[in-house]
Amino acid sequence: MENAIETKDLTKYYGDFLAVDHVGFEVKRGEIFGFLGPNGAGKTTTIRMLTGASTPTEGSASVMGFDIRSRPIEAKEQMGIVPDVSNVYGELSAWDNLIFTGKLYDMPKTFRESRAEELLRMFGLYERRDERVKGFSRGMKRRVCIAMALMNRAGILFLDEPTSGLDVQSVLIIRDLVRKLNEQGLTIFVTTHNIEEASQMCDRVAIINHGRVTAIDTPERLKRMVESLQSVEVAFDSTFPGTLESLRALPGVGEVVKEGDKFRLFTNDPPSVLASIWGFAEGKRLRVITLSTLGPSLEDVFVKLTGISPATASAQDLYRVQGRGKRDGGRRQ
Amino acid sequence: MSIEHRSHLRREVRVAWAITMKDMRTYYTQPPSIMFGILFPFSLFLSFSIGRNVSLASQIPVLISQTLFFASSSIGPVVIPTERANQTFDRFITSPVSLLSILMGKTLAGVIYGVGISLIPVLVGIAFFGSSIISLVALIACFALSSFAFSALGIMFASIPGQTPGQVMMPLNFVRIPLLFISGVYTPVRDLPLLMQLVSLASPLTHTVELARYATGGDAFFGPLLNVVVLTCYAVLFLFMGIRFHVMNQRRE
Repeated sequence: MENAIETKDLTKYYGDFLAVDHVGFEVKRGEIFGFLGPNGAGKTTTIRMLTGASTPTEGSASVMGFDIRSRPIEAKEQMGIVPDVSNVYGELSAWDNLIFTGKLYDMPKTFRESRAEELLRMFGLYERRDERVKGFSRGMKRRVCIAMALMNRAGILFLDEPTSGLDVQSVLIIRDLVRKLNEQGLTIFVTTHNIEEASQMCDRVAIINHGRVTAIDTPERLKRMVESLQSVEVAFDSTFPGTLESLRALPGVGEVVKEGDKFRLFTNDPPSVLASIWGFAEGKRLRVITLSTLGPSLEDVFVKLTGISPATASAQDLYRVQGRGKRDGGRRQ
Repeated sequence: MSIEHRSHLRREVRVAWAITMKDMRTYYTQPPSIMFGILFPFSLFLSFSIGRNVSLASQIPVLISQTLFFASSSIGPVVIPTERANQTFDRFITSPVSLLSILMGKTLAGVIYGVGISLIPVLVGIAFFGSSIISLVALIACFALSSFAFSALGIMFASIPGQTPGQVMMPLNFVRIPLLFISGVYTPVRDLPLLMQLVSLASPLTHTVELARYATGGDAFFGPLLNVVVLTCYAVLFLFMGIRFHVMNQRRE
């Protein structure tokens, strides 16, 4: 059995609202699979169906070879789950949270105690094991939650928005941990709306919007889908009113977006735009601080496939101006 | 039963017990448990019993019944909405254990709470008011079946989607409080009009009161055997309905 997860036509209705629309994908054993989409796209609903928290309206899914409907107990034995909210027991200590999780998986006493100690040491929480979790910081609660998900030595770990709302240090710790766990052979299914996180961590990414999967591939292959979206990024020592419009008027420039103190010029022909920028700077007596050409990012892919723009709303205008295709509204498969 | 089935059953029992123990540690001292499980039945008892021209010893079965009723049925509506709000209820749903065992674990937490609280009036009655236990079997049946039925009632109501105990307690009290007045708690069933006697037959609380009265030497209008049968039926029915409603929730959520 090569696939850790297989889904076919997985569908979920909430009343008349179609939250997940006939989703089908496979996750290979040992890979980090990212489920990328905006809020409300259907990521959490999909993960809840895969983990047995919610019953699919239609379709089928199997986890580690076990059908989630006909053999839910066996499927659940193979999973570790970290939901979007750290669902730890605040009234219990970190130690008791892990021990209770071990009991839910019917782990023998000696095994659950040694595993709890191992995990608390791994997460830097052993010294505070007897403290009630409700006094912990959000990052620490997240670590307890992940440790609980690892108690049963699962074959697959589901992470729903694992770094959402955490400080930078906690984010780095968790990302590093996910990589290490994956190196040890754990399959990881991670949902995120953080494009950069998906790009950095995942072997493959599925982009979901309006309940439908619009693309599945490696981050690099997805980026190649929109190779036409090249750009030049430039920063000047000073600007003047109308800089944006002046840059937009340069030959070969499709759209210009101001990103902080930089301008991003979308183009099909970066070399000629580079030359134009130098000419523009000289003419306006501006000094170029930074100048770089950029390939398409996963964010660009996301924008193109979902039809929404998290950071560069006017990038969508580029498609319209240059007639490269209509927004698909996230409905293309 | 095969070895595999026995092993599976033992595993389910262990996990259910772990859930019970966790609920006992976490929720027994929560304010809603104390409020609705202890203060509420004792306050109601005092409100309706003080000043009446009856001996306190004869009122001990009433207090036992009320504490069994309120304490047992209060744990589920405290635990499940709180766990739903914290999303810790998902831990059970996604763990490798059946829904029956999860709800049995939760029900047992209510049973132990109800039995524990209700032992207080028994002991107080014996120690201070001259109550005596005439039928220990009837008392054990009263405690075991009533606490289970009422705890399962609480679990059934806790399937109502809600994020706070109050959202479940309110509809539950719409059922619990009227039952007090049709179950022979304050007026014995024998003294009720015929129509009300028929209505009281359908109330599970009637059979708790009757068994408690019978165990302490009083009168059981419907007879202890019928009391046991009705309470058993309600215990199974409430547990079954609770499971059905929770399965429906999983489909909806």
